Amino acid sequence: MTTQTETPLGAMPNEDLQRLVEFAQLVTAGRDAMSDEIVTRLAAAMSEGLTLLDRLTRNEGLMHLLKVLDRQDTQHLLIALSDAIHAASQEIPAAPPATGGLGCMMRVARDPGTQEGLRLLSVFGKHLSHSMREQHRRGG
Amino acid sequence: MRILVVGGGTGGTIVANNLARRLSAEIRARKVRLTMLSASDKHMYQPGLLYVAFGQMTPDQLYRDQASLLEGSIDFHVDPVEKFHLDQNNVITKSGKTYEYDILVMATGSRIVPEEIPGMAEGAETFYTEASAVKMFKRLREIQEGTVAVVVGVPHKCPIAPVELIFSLNDYFKARGIRDKIKIKYHYPIGRIHTIKEVAIWAEPEFKRMGIEYETLFNVSEVDVENKVVRSEEGTETPYEMLIAIPPHRGMEVIEQNNLGEGGWIPTDRFKLTMNGHDNVYVVGDTTNLPVSKTGSAAHFEAEVVSENIASIIKIGTPVRDYDGKVYCFIETGHDSATYAMFNYQNPPDLKAPSKPMHWFKMAYNQMYWTSVRGLL
Repeated sequence: MTTQTETPLGAMPNEDLQRLVEFAQLVTAGRDAMSDEIVTRLAAAMSEGLTLLDRLTRNEGLMHLLKVLDRQDTQHLLIALSDAIHAASQEIPAAPPATGGLGCMMRVARDPGTQEGLRLLSVFGKHLSHSMREQHRRGG
Repeated sequence: MRILVVGGGTGGTIVANNLARRLSAEIRARKVRLTMLSASDKHMYQPGLLYVAFGQMTPDQLYRDQASLLEGSIDFHVDPVEKFHLDQNNVITKSGKTYEYDILVMATGSRIVPEEIPGMAEGAETFYTEASAVKMFKRLREIQEGTVAVVVGVPHKCPIAPVELIFSLNDYFKARGIRDKIKIKYHYPIGRIHTIKEVAIWAEPEFKRMGIEYETLFNVSEVDVENKVVRSEEGTETPYEMLIAIPPHRGMEVIEQNNLGEGGWIPTDRFKLTMNGHDNVYVVGDTTNLPVSKTGSAAHFEAEVVSENIASIIKIGTPVRDYDGKVYCFIETGHDSATYAMFNYQNPPDLKAPSKPMHWFKMAYNQMYWTSVRGLL
């Protein structure tokens, strides 16, 4: 039985009908193109993707890292890190191989770049140790 | 609080993962310890065996490492339980270790017992184990003509399986171009073609459309392997070229050996899902004696209730949910269409017309199952 709110197909404008037909054709074409194997592969990818997403979003350490990475000062660090990676990738292949020996060690140790690098690593190490001790104290 | 989950099938795995998620803070603070004991380090997607029996899946697609499916906070051991001391709140495993618990979850599952019917184990094909499903497929490929008889033992898990089997047989022989040379005869133990009335009403015209011959009130008494005849307790018999059996099932032997339930089925409160007389023992999946289907979906819905209640008991001291008997069964109506039956204690199923999208939904679920047992879906 047709109710007053329904629109009989015959009363629809031709353009609307044409769009409906096109939409139905699109759905039918998609359906015909699908196969059990495609559905299975898509579902497997979705299933694994969902599991991965779940693991990532429930990983406390990773979430904390993302929060830290979002901070403005960390952005500067990330930019500096990218620049350093780029510069190092250019500098290292062009540099002559290390000759070895104490003299070479002394030359490297006298280099201000080496000293800055060591300072950066020692500051990083200090904060890393402090944070690990703090987490251990809290029972983590 | 020590929670012990015995059994690493669908129900046990979902309970353990769900609890690990809900109680992550308590586990981290070492207030809760979650342990799982299983008989195997592998987890099998059992519904896939029917696809193996028709060459639509290979056995390796059905397995995952159990440890890979579990949350990292679950203490997992492959060490099956041999003795349950429910009065002392501990179990003893095959390796001789004792595991104490405050809350026990029993999810030991069920097993087939074709040997209970003379001749069935030797004379009938089946698809409830990897080896038997592969053997059945090889046999199906060989047959060229004659009667393929399907018989159903009682009780059996997944009540939809016999009907799905018939649809799959019909499509398989059609695809091979020999459907006209094969007579498919279906035998069912009660007075209609399916235990669920609504499924019987829906399936009967479908069987007629496919030209399936059927005989009801056929309880298998013996399989005469030499003469290729299957006989019923009611006195009738069917000669066959190939016999496919849904074998009778029982709960696991360890349940019977510990006198925890007749036939291996544990008497369970239908709403709380606790073992009768033991409020700190929960039962899920095939292990219960509940009047619901023994299927992965029933185990799934039960597991959700059990894990939510255990978590709420730990957090607020009281359970919060009752199990309503919900079951959701896909019904493959051939190799390219499907429908589903959803029901609970109160509402019978209302079957919809089969469609291809439902078949794809089932295909997709075969993959999404792994997400489901991880406690995500």
